[in-house]
Amino acid sequence: MKNQDPQHSTDFFSRRDRAYEFVRERWDMMALAVLAVAPLCVPALGGALGGQVTTLFIYCILALGLNVVVGYTGLVHLGIAAFFGIGAYIMAILTVPMYPFQIGFLAATIVSVLITAGVGLALGAPTLRLRGDYLAIVTLGFGEVVKVTLRNLEQITGGMKGLNPVPPPGAGVKVAGIDLGLAFAIDPRWFYYLALVSLAGVVLAMRRLEDSRLGRAWVAVREDELAASAMGISATRVKLSAFAMSSAVAGLAGCLYAASLSTTADPNAYDFNRSIMVLCAVILGGLGSIPGTLLGVTILVGFDTVLAPWADSLIQQMNINPSGLILLSFSGWRLAIFGLALVLVMRFRPEGLVPSRRLAAELHEAHP
Amino acid sequence: MPMLEVHEVEAGYGPIRALDRVSLEVQEGELVAIIGANGAGKTTLLMAISGIVPVRSGEVRFRGTPINGLQPHQIVRLGIGHSPEGRRIFPRLTVRENLELGGFTQPNSSQLKRDIDEACGLFPVLGERMGQLGGTLSGGEQQMLALGRALVGRPKLLMLDEPSLGLAPLIVTKIFEVIAGLSSRGIAVVLVEQNAYAALKLATRGYVLETGRVTLTGSGKDLAADVRVQDAYLGE
Repeated sequence: MKNQDPQHSTDFFSRRDRAYEFVRERWDMMALAVLAVAPLCVPALGGALGGQVTTLFIYCILALGLNVVVGYTGLVHLGIAAFFGIGAYIMAILTVPMYPFQIGFLAATIVSVLITAGVGLALGAPTLRLRGDYLAIVTLGFGEVVKVTLRNLEQITGGMKGLNPVPPPGAGVKVAGIDLGLAFAIDPRWFYYLALVSLAGVVLAMRRLEDSRLGRAWVAVREDELAASAMGISATRVKLSAFAMSSAVAGLAGCLYAASLSTTADPNAYDFNRSIMVLCAVILGGLGSIPGTLLGVTILVGFDTVLAPWADSLIQQMNINPSGLILLSFSGWRLAIFGLALVLVMRFRPEGLVPSRRLAAELHEAHP
Repeated sequence: MPMLEVHEVEAGYGPIRALDRVSLEVQEGELVAIIGANGAGKTTLLMAISGIVPVRSGEVRFRGTPINGLQPHQIVRLGIGHSPEGRRIFPRLTVRENLELGGFTQPNSSQLKRDIDEACGLFPVLGERMGQLGGTLSGGEQQMLALGRALVGRPKLLMLDEPSLGLAPLIVTKIFEVIAGLSSRGIAVVLVEQNAYAALKLATRGYVLETGRVTLTGSGKDLAADVRVQDAYLGE
């Protein structure tokens, strides 16, 4: 081996490094291009799969919102699903036929995002002065309160039935002879693109935030609150802004969710499990890392909403489980696989699958 | 009118009274050293001035306006910089990001850039390490970063808590050189130091703090020559 041309091996490694570098720098555009073209090439995306992938994009947006509080600012937040739910229900209230508003998708989204951010501020203002653990308890409790309220305020929220039908975006609007609402209702690819564009917008906004004064202040508060205040940063105000930002983004995700399902679904769609799943996705992918968060959601939610149903139907088709034993269905093992994956990642890669630049650099220093 | 007036300030933690009616003054452009043993209240005094520890009674005035009761970030914005004990740089942020955070209150980005360049002029090593994480610097470099970061905020009064702690003598000399140069740039300095001799040599005036009280005060030279100070803090 030692007699081999050393030049050759350096070439090989530098080429591999360059390829790695290329992926690291350009993953976003590559992914966007693939996802943008996919519906034109993969007919399945015009069916149920299209809806599932749309849901995946929406959870990506939700997780990026949570990442602001948990990743950048380093606070514990166990109730992101509540804000997801508030966004979805306000969208529904503003658009369903049973209410007099029916103000259309875009206006409803804007109002809903603003209200959700306001709720975030109202919850954060009295609690963010507290230390980390109390915030975890408050957000956890808030999540339960919202769920139970949605369930019990039947007159307003429709109780367990939820609110429906949420009309598709552009209902009644005709562009070049095509009824937009109808197009959205018939072909899931319309929602696919809407969610993809929204996700791309959120990713772009998050990047700008990371490099902004505010983004720096979030990280400074996470790293050392006392030193941050010695820099002239108001820790309380900075945390509050992170909380509001994350609530707003979660609200946006909720709007898309309700519109794409054409219902808010029942309140259990916004329960503690949902919060924890999104939190796990952020931790699994890498706290404070945009690509990590996206990958974490893709793995966890993708497993849940795309892979598990597919594997179930495969098992059913192969007819190995005619009696419907839960032990032989893939979904029955869902949580076990889920848990095992998390344990393994935390054991072998605690900084997450795609750690943020800071953590990556730190580890690089530690193991040169 | 003195730039900073601390009048009969009491502060502490729970039942412990760390400062007992401490009074002190800093004139514009002056370098004031505060010396004293561990636990004398030096760090608490700085934290009380910068609003991190609440003032229980007494008053702190900056250029005539009372500032006790303001939030720490408001006090920083008035022009009182504080480089806290233990350097407190952001270890997982780069040198550049650390310096930029030092200028957080500077809204003008081209001015911020000039201020950062200026800090790098004082400590060239920072300019060479811009992209490196703060935590990977040596102790001396971290202290330079802490000092540079504080200066980027363009303070009118800078409070330094133990800038020489745990550093090699050569680096201490360099740090003290820069501190001595600050008054020529019109920055008043409050210097808390264990290294009493070096601090008093630099200072226009000094205060000796003992168990939360000011027990001695005078010009830096007089204090360095004082027998009581020599016995207690300067060693033989």
